[in-house]
Amino acid sequence: MAEATKPAGLLSTPSSNANTPRLEAPGVKSPTPIYSMSAVEDTRICVVMVGLPARGKSLIAGKIVRYLRWLSVDARTFNVGTYRRQDTPQPTADFFDTNNKEGERMRRVAAEAAVKDMLKWFAQEKGTVAILDATNSTQARRRWIAQTVGQYGIEVMFVESKCDDEDLIMSNIMEVKTTSPDYRGQDPELAAKDFRNRIRNYEKIYETITETDYTYVKLINVGTQVVINCIQDYLQSRIVYFLMNLHIKPRSIWLSRHGESMFNLAGKIGGDADLSPRGFRYSEALPEICRQAGIVPEQNITVWTSTMKRTIQTAQHLPYNKLQWKALDELDSGTCDGLTYEEIEEQFPEDFRARDDDKYNYRYRGGESYRDLVIRLEPIIMEMERQENVMVVTHQAVIRCIYAYFMNVPQDRSPWMEIPLHTVIKLTPKAYGTKEERFKANIPAVSTFRPKYSSAKHQETDSPDVNELSVKMNV
Amino acid sequence: MTRDNQARETPPSTAYRRRSSVDVDGVHEKWPFVKGEMAPAQLYSTTSGRLFHSGKIAIITVGLPARGKTHLSVALTRYLRWLGVITHTFHLGDYRRAHCAPGQDVPEDYFFVNASPSSVLLRQKILRQCRTDIYEFFDRHGGQVAIYDAVNPTAAGRRLLAKEFLKNDIHPIFIESTCDDMKIIEENVRNVKISSPDYAGWKPEDAVQDYLRRITVKIPHFETMEEIELDYIKMINAGERIIVNNCRFGYLPNRIVFYLMNLHIKTRRTYFARSGIADHDSYKADAPLSEQGLDYSRRLADTITKFRVEELRAHIAAGGSKEDRPLVVWTSTRIRTVQTADQLAAKGIKVRQRQQLSQLNPGAVEGLSEKEIRELYPEELEKHNQDPYHHRYPRSESYHDLAVRLEPIILELEREHNDLLIIAHESVLRVLYAYLMACSTADIPTMKFGRDEIVEIVPASYNNVARRIPIPPGTHQEVPNTPFGFPPVFTGI
Repeated sequence: MAEATKPAGLLSTPSSNANTPRLEAPGVKSPTPIYSMSAVEDTRICVVMVGLPARGKSLIAGKIVRYLRWLSVDARTFNVGTYRRQDTPQPTADFFDTNNKEGERMRRVAAEAAVKDMLKWFAQEKGTVAILDATNSTQARRRWIAQTVGQYGIEVMFVESKCDDEDLIMSNIMEVKTTSPDYRGQDPELAAKDFRNRIRNYEKIYETITETDYTYVKLINVGTQVVINCIQDYLQSRIVYFLMNLHIKPRSIWLSRHGESMFNLAGKIGGDADLSPRGFRYSEALPEICRQAGIVPEQNITVWTSTMKRTIQTAQHLPYNKLQWKALDELDSGTCDGLTYEEIEEQFPEDFRARDDDKYNYRYRGGESYRDLVIRLEPIIMEMERQENVMVVTHQAVIRCIYAYFMNVPQDRSPWMEIPLHTVIKLTPKAYGTKEERFKANIPAVSTFRPKYSSAKHQETDSPDVNELSVKMNV
Repeated sequence: MTRDNQARETPPSTAYRRRSSVDVDGVHEKWPFVKGEMAPAQLYSTTSGRLFHSGKIAIITVGLPARGKTHLSVALTRYLRWLGVITHTFHLGDYRRAHCAPGQDVPEDYFFVNASPSSVLLRQKILRQCRTDIYEFFDRHGGQVAIYDAVNPTAAGRRLLAKEFLKNDIHPIFIESTCDDMKIIEENVRNVKISSPDYAGWKPEDAVQDYLRRITVKIPHFETMEEIELDYIKMINAGERIIVNNCRFGYLPNRIVFYLMNLHIKTRRTYFARSGIADHDSYKADAPLSEQGLDYSRRLADTITKFRVEELRAHIAAGGSKEDRPLVVWTSTRIRTVQTADQLAAKGIKVRQRQQLSQLNPGAVEGLSEKEIRELYPEELEKHNQDPYHHRYPRSESYHDLAVRLEPIILELEREHNDLLIIAHESVLRVLYAYLMACSTADIPTMKFGRDEIVEIVPASYNNVARRIPIPPGTHQEVPNTPFGFPPVFTGI
């Protein structure tokens, strides 16, 4: 059977291998997610966050989930605070005092409810990586989790964020007091004071991880020192590697499709065509649009393109360092390369239908699926996390994947997103979401967006009179 | 403009080929073999030859003998070179041995803190020579990472070393390998250290104990790394625990840690075999095995099974452990590759399909003869002959693309503790073999993997050794891959 054979825990048996009907025949959608990187077939991991409040645990948890989901690893966060708030929506610091027996009991009930739901998720929804987001600050609590979760054959991996950098803690406290549901509607100064008291209550009982028989990663002062204990498989090492590449400096990412190409005009997909005259006009306008989008000329920024003519031509007037990546080439449409959607529908009606039924998994005959594309973009994403300012000039499907990573767009939606031509998208990651701005050039182009089950020709878009700007925030 | 495929635009006129044969592990040879040569998985090249804006790095090993320092140095060299980082290991032991008469060792007090003046002089002379070679590697050969494989037992000595390298604009990272589990140390001594002539005729158990006793006598003073101002990676019990201190100055240290998380020091085998052939296969059709293919799959299963039974018998006869390392099989997701493993699956061996193991995409030239390619793509053919590793026919993958996409497979291959048989297309076997045997990009496109043999890679202490296990001929005549005899890789078969 294919990689992600479930139920998890069952190894492929001889009988299941004999005359295996293949799941990955070209032109046929793969019904089972084929995990790209690892032995996920029988791996289930519970990542248990450990650390005092205001140590960035939720931020880290969110990033891990976003990264894994993007790799088609089913991941989900279980936040104990959310369960606790059902009974105690806005507790004061006293609630977290170790001498407050009732508070302690209620916090334990919340933890039990979160773990119970998590186990249900593993069992019923066949989840792969769950993140248990709570302070989990005592050895006793961790032992309880390791035993409760471990008995179901789920690997337990603790991720501790340990920090004594006062500036960093303060900036986290400021963030929390303004965004946490615990303090909604309260005076910010009082909230900050109460929150500091809550932290003090946790500090009394806090025990850093020293349990060497557990798998754990300890991130000390945002990676000044990292302790990695008993990594059990490739997927765990991948998570640790990802954690080590994260940085928290402010930065932005600019995305643009290539300018309109001759194939776009003809309504054909794929190929390696030149830009159309309007596409060349976009390439000439691009340096100015980038300035409007906040790239200052002397800024230290690198422009990444694919190896295809239309992206190289689009970036040609940008006065920055450039890097061509094969990994940024457009999704390979195999036998359909160079055809129009009408021709595809006519020549391969079944394929045409199958693709729209499950666009993310459909692999063109002799070509690629969106899932394949994500595999090849993985090193690009890792490098983007590590870099500061990057501008990427690439293709529709590739931008959909990169955008989906930063904006947490699920796989059933990401292949259907509209990414218009002649538009620069600026993404700015923030603590609890990513800010998006769009800068539209005043140069008309066809729309290459095709609604589900339609083979409509590429449409002319309305030509805007002025460069347009739109802003939204994804949380 | 920097670009990942710069070499493809101005292909070198002569193919870079290693002097020795591809049957020998090239990890200790001077690399690059020719200036400007690209490594198999290298993404781009720079004029300085250094990558990732990581500058010059000295990786300095720390640890007592028998802690796997040499294995770690060699494995890391293999991986970093694969990525295109110009890396070389300098084993201080090699320099020590070069200063001693054959069969002789350094004086008894050589490693002592209060060694005699003559021993101190000898020590300094040896260190100086090794250091000179390291600087020459950086200054004259465009080196980026020098791995300095030595004991480096004291904190004071390490601080001096760090200062000296920093003064020369080289960033030092220490990698300490330390063990508090005696079983791991003893196992390593048994596998690596007591095969020397010194211990000929000894009982393995006695030899191990004697070796360990001699370490304690020779190096009585050792301090584990606690110098928090330095950049270091401490590997405890063969990677069971890893402590990364600082090491935040770039991409390379993270990449190194990622690799180390997947490295282990247990010994095991890797086998490579082709998949059987199909009747009307092409890259797009993905056909099932033909009669010949089925016959081959049976012979392959019998050969590997018989071979392993005999190996184990010989191992036990030589006093080795009776424990049998299990075999696992990886195949691609292509039908005939999966079917080639069916016989082994029927014997209860675990088979995993790996999507990334699928063959090189032949693109527009699939099934074409050289003559046809010449007519259709004359310029492309010219470019292909100039640089068959990097050149990409229209819509095809190059070997370079393949090597980059195999990265997760390579790390899982390092992580695997069982013996591993990989059944895949010849293009994939070429690339994986090249990783384990440190072959150059000039060698890869033409390496031969027949259906008449299984290739086995056996790890030794300094390098890997390749062996060939013949598969007896079958009842069906083998047919050539293409009727035209032109790049067999460009057929689906």
